[in-house]
Amino acid sequence: MASTHDERGAADIGGTPAGPVDTVDHGMKFWERQANALRSLLGRKGITRTDELRRAAEDLGERYAQLAYFERTTTALRINLVEKGLITESELIAKMAEVRARFDMPSEMESPIEQRGQR
Amino acid sequence: MHDYPYDFYANRRPGHHHDHQHDHDPHAPIVERDEGPPSEYEVMSRAMQELLEAKGIITADEVRQRMEIFEEEFPYRGAKVVAHAWTDPHFRRRLLADGKAAVAEFGIGMEAERLIAVENTPEVHNVIVCTLCSCYPRSLLGMPPTWYKSTNYRARAVFEPRAVLREFGTELPESVTVRVHDSNADMRYIVMPMRPAGTEGWSEDRLAEILTRDTLVGVTVPRVRQDPGGSPE
Amino acid sequence: MPAAKQTPAATVSTYTPAPGHRYTVGDRVSVKRSYPPGHRRTPHYIKGKIGMIERVCGTFANPEELAYGFDGEPKRILYRVQFAQSTVWPDYRGAARDVIEMEIYEHWLEPA
Repeated sequence: MASTHDERGAADIGGTPAGPVDTVDHGMKFWERQANALRSLLGRKGITRTDELRRAAEDLGERYAQLAYFERTTTALRINLVEKGLITESELIAKMAEVRARFDMPSEMESPIEQRGQR
Repeated sequence: MHDYPYDFYANRRPGHHHDHQHDHDPHAPIVERDEGPPSEYEVMSRAMQELLEAKGIITADEVRQRMEIFEEEFPYRGAKVVAHAWTDPHFRRRLLADGKAAVAEFGIGMEAERLIAVENTPEVHNVIVCTLCSCYPRSLLGMPPTWYKSTNYRARAVFEPRAVLREFGTELPESVTVRVHDSNADMRYIVMPMRPAGTEGWSEDRLAEILTRDTLVGVTVPRVRQDPGGSPE
Repeated sequence: MPAAKQTPAATVSTYTPAPGHRYTVGDRVSVKRSYPPGHRRTPHYIKGKIGMIERVCGTFANPEELAYGFDGEPKRILYRVQFAQSTVWPDYRGAARDVIEMEIYEHWLEPA
């Protein structure tokens, strides 16, 4: 996505108008810590690169601001893994259905775009 | 505003975590999870992990070990390094000259991260941000707090740092220069706060306790708490 | 507390050599007014601003190439550059001496 003198990339937000900082650390859920460990491990093994993950997140355009931090990083990892042919979209979709079933979830998922007080 | 900045790691010290077994089957799926139904992204992340495990690229045990390092080792190292710098002027000089080399000499490996330590003085106060993503010295401080990764912090810390610091309860006079570091490429940053009065003769462990994560990012300064009896903690 | 150890050779460092570096500490530089598509690590807000070389960091693989699966060679020289906040933001309301510092690759800099 091109940035021009009056446009900027989705992640390039330094100096843009924004609200008060929620100064409380809300920590991380278990799955977020596990997702972080997964990403970190893949980086150390040389399977993914931080630069590629960043680029995939930046390319989300409008979705970048709509997703919470770990939603973005998980989406970016998905994009990189599929790009590299390490997984396919169809096997991921199938595995996600299997994971959902294990948690006894209904087949209609809630929208992945959740309201968050703080991104 | 709160009396004392909330520190996610404040009540956690290495060795004081809950007991857990280390004899995991490396191929057993990780079954721990949060309360409530998983989000689409939790499902996505778990599914990716399981696919990679099935393909022999990673094991569940490796992921588990990585989680443990992030929770039990990384968050405590930065405070130890700075506490040591407070007590050893030669180490302090080396830390400021070459962060990664000094930390390695201290016995800590920073993995791929390159460290620049910046010192607070009576004239200069440092604060760290990553406007483009969430670059942070994870191998010294653990995972960044939610506020550090937030849009509002990333956007405003660079153009109105004093207002942002005020939101953390940190008020700086005009006579103190604010030096913002946008951690935007290969370097990672840690702030060396000024050592407060009332800490003379303290052990490094005790000094490390007041070097909270927030002080090492630069949004607050270390505080010596007085107990009700009047003697310093 | 671990005692400070002597490492046999100083192979671990934050910095790497920067042979042929164009700028040195104290040089005035400006950030290119360039708005290319794709992954860059030069923030929008600093483009066109004039600052001073604060430190030479070394040579590193180019993130603009790494982001697309290339090896990032040839490596590029990275500097830390310091800017007066009052020159970066038209309405800056802090102290006159407040500064902002960041890392900028050599190919994004011009002499000022």
